[in-house]
Amino acid sequence: MDAGNMNTNRGGIWKCARCAEELQTKKIVFSYLGHTFSHEVPTCPKCGKVFISKELATGRMAEVEELLEDK
Amino acid sequence: MKMEDATAYTARCFNGEPASCSFACPFHLDIRSFLEKAGKGRWTAAYKELRNAVVFPVIVSMLCEQPCRERCQRTLIGDEAIALQELEKAVIKHVKTRKPDAYFIPPKAQSLAVVGAGPAGLSCALNLAQKKYSVTVFDQEESWGGSLREHPCFDRFDEDIALQFSAVDVTFQLNTEITKLEELNGFHAIYLATGRGGDSFGLLNSWEPDLQTTSNPRVFLGGELCGVSLMEGIAQGPKLSKTLEVFLQTGKASGTSGGYDKRDCGHYLSHDDAVPVPMVIPSSEDGYTEEEAKQEAARCFLCDCEICITSCEMLKRFRKKPHRMAVEVFTDSQAATLSSRSITRETYSCNICGYCKSICPEDVDMGALLQFSRTARMNGGIHPPALHDFWLREMDFASTEGFFASAPKGEETCEYAFFPGCQLGASNPEYVSKSYEFLYRNYNAGLILDCCGAPAYWAGDEARMDLHKEKLYKSWTDMGKPTLIFACATCESVFHRFLPEIKRISLYELLAAADEITPVSPFPAASVFDPCAAREDHGMEQSVRRLAQKAGIALRELPEKNRCCGYGGHMRIANPALYDEISRNRAEAGTQPYIAYCVNCREVFALQQKACVHILDMAFGLEAAAKVPSLQEKRDNSLKVKKDLMKNMKEEDFEAAVNDWDGLNLVIGEALQKELDRKLISASDLR
Repeated sequence: MDAGNMNTNRGGIWKCARCAEELQTKKIVFSYLGHTFSHEVPTCPKCGKVFISKELATGRMAEVEELLEDK
Repeated sequence: MKMEDATAYTARCFNGEPASCSFACPFHLDIRSFLEKAGKGRWTAAYKELRNAVVFPVIVSMLCEQPCRERCQRTLIGDEAIALQELEKAVIKHVKTRKPDAYFIPPKAQSLAVVGAGPAGLSCALNLAQKKYSVTVFDQEESWGGSLREHPCFDRFDEDIALQFSAVDVTFQLNTEITKLEELNGFHAIYLATGRGGDSFGLLNSWEPDLQTTSNPRVFLGGELCGVSLMEGIAQGPKLSKTLEVFLQTGKASGTSGGYDKRDCGHYLSHDDAVPVPMVIPSSEDGYTEEEAKQEAARCFLCDCEICITSCEMLKRFRKKPHRMAVEVFTDSQAATLSSRSITRETYSCNICGYCKSICPEDVDMGALLQFSRTARMNGGIHPPALHDFWLREMDFASTEGFFASAPKGEETCEYAFFPGCQLGASNPEYVSKSYEFLYRNYNAGLILDCCGAPAYWAGDEARMDLHKEKLYKSWTDMGKPTLIFACATCESVFHRFLPEIKRISLYELLAAADEITPVSPFPAASVFDPCAAREDHGMEQSVRRLAQKAGIALRELPEKNRCCGYGGHMRIANPALYDEISRNRAEAGTQPYIAYCVNCREVFALQQKACVHILDMAFGLEAAAKVPSLQEKRDNSLKVKKDLMKNMKEEDFEAAVNDWDGLNLVIGEALQKELDRKLISASDLR
C-alpha cells in the first residue's frame, strides 16, 4: 500500500464518490457516550468524509461501544 | 431513585427464603441446606448445620415431633415426606467427629444465672457460654436433665449434654434450691427455666413470649415453665441468648423474630414435573447406611422458587436472582456514567413480555423492574442510544411520513376506526387494504396509520411517549372518538396502558363474527402462536382460534402460551445472541406449523424457517409470503398503503419526499441483503 493511498481489497484504490479524490489514511477521533477513541481510517482529503470498513464497524468500534455500554 | 423504588418491584419474591419445612421447624433449621449436604454425603457439614440450629442433636433427633413433615412439599405429589428424623440420626451416626467447636473470644464481664438445668435452661446457658459470658446454672436436683431425666433413653441425652458442654466453661451448682430471687443479686441477668409447674417467683403473669421478658427487667422466663413444648424450650435458647446479649450490653432487651412469625409460609411450588420417589426404608434397625441416607436426602426437592429464572432465557443467561437485580437497578442508578453501570446489558435485553409475572406465584414482574430502569436511565440522560435508535427512527417515520388519519370517505367522523399499527402494512400492504375494505363495508370505519408508541415506551422515553400520546389522542378526537379496531396486540396493549379511555376491539373478533369471511388454511393441523402482548386479551385469542377452526384446521395448543417471539422490548440490538436463542426456542416449541396474529411473530418465524402464516393470510385467502420484506421494502410498503388509502378515501395524491441520494443505484446481493436486514440497516441508510 502506498504511504497515503488506500487500496481496495480487490487491488483498486478507494476514491471519494463526490470529490473523486483518492482516500488517505488519517487519525480520526470518534466519540460515544462522552468517551472518545481514535483510529486511522481512510479519509477524503477534500471533503473530509471518512470511510469506515465493515471490519472496523463490526470489530473495534462495536467492541468499544459495548465496553462503554457495559461495565 | 430510592432503593425502595426498585426493591418494591421484587418485594413479594420469596426466592432464597427458607422452605416451607423450615418455617414449621421449631428450630428453623435450614432443612434444605441440611439435606443438600446430607445428599452429597457431607456428614460434617450437615452435622454442623444441625448442631448449630438444634443445640442438642441427639435429644432433638429422638424426640422432635417433626412438624416439618406436614409441610414437606414431597407430600404435594402424593409421596411420603422426607424422613428427617431418620436422616438426623444417620448424620449423627456417620459424622466422623461430633466434638464441639471452641471459640476463642475474650471473656465478658457480665454474668448470667440460669435456674433450672432442664433442656431449656441448658440450651440458653450453652449459647451464652459460647459467647464467653460467665454462666452459672442452678438446679435443686443432683444432676442436669430436668424433665428428660425420667426418659428411658436418658443416658444418651446425658451424653449429648455433656458433649455439648465440653467446650465451654459453665458453673453448675446442683443440689441448690433457689427460694428467693435476692439470692441471685450478684448476677446481671437471670433466666428462670424451672420446668412445668416450677417456681416463677410470681413473674409468670407478666411474661412476654416474644422477648421472654417479665415485669422484672433483669429476669427472663422460658421453657416448659411457660407452657411451651420441650422442643420449643430448647429452641428458645439460641434466640434468647441474642436478646440477653443485647440486654447485658445495653441494659435493654430487644431482638427480632427473624422473619418466622408464622409456622406456615404459604409458599408452595408447583411440582408438576416431579417424579414420585418412595421413601427409603432403612435396611437394618440401626438406621440408614451412608448410601441409604444419601438416597433419602436426595429425595428433597430443595424447594426454592426459581420459576422465572428457569423459564426466561434472559434471566437464565444473566443468572441473577430477582432481589439482587432490584438492588442492582438501584445501585446502577447511582453511577454517574453509563460505563460505570453494571446491568446495562440486562436492562436492555429484556423482552418486557410479562411472562415472568404470569408464572410467578406472587406476580413479580421483572420486566416492569427493568422497564423502570430504562425509564430512569432515559430521564437521567444516561442510556445507550445505539440500542433503541433504529426503532425510534422507525417511530418517527411512521408518525410523520407514514402517518395518515381519516374518517371514512365523505364523512367527518365515525364510530369505528382501524388502527393497523406500523408493521402490518409494512409486512404486507394487503393486510391493511383487505382489512380496511372489510371494515369500511361492514362498520363504515375510518383509519389511523400511525405508530402506537411502543418504541418510545420500550426505550423508556417518557417525554417522547407523552408527546406521541397527545398526537394519537388528537387523531382520535378529530375523528369523533371512534372505537379503535386493532390488528396488533402490542398496539392494543400500548393504548390500554397509555390511553385507556379509548374503546378498543380486535379486528379478529370482527372477522370471526362475519359470515362473509371464509378462511382458508394451507395446513391440515397447526398451533396458534399467541403473542405476548395478547396475554390479557382473551377475546383476541379466542377469535383467532375460531377463525382457524372455521378453516377446518385441527388445532393443537402449545405447551406454553403467550411467550415472546423475541421481538418484544426491542432487545435485538442490545443482545443479538439472546434474540437468536429466544426466537429459535419459540420456533421449536411446537412441532406443527404456526398461525400467528402478530406480524412480528410471523416474520421472526419466517426467518427461522418455521412454517407459519398470519391469520389474515387465512382470512383473506392471501398467498402467504414466505419471504420477509427487506427494511427498504417495508418502508416502501408503508408508503404504498398510505398512498393507496389516501387516494381511495380522500382522492388525494400522496408523493413521498424525495432525497438527493434516492437516485443512487445500489446493487445489493442476496447474502448482503440478509446481513443488512439482520443488522437493521436499510438501503436508504446506505445511500
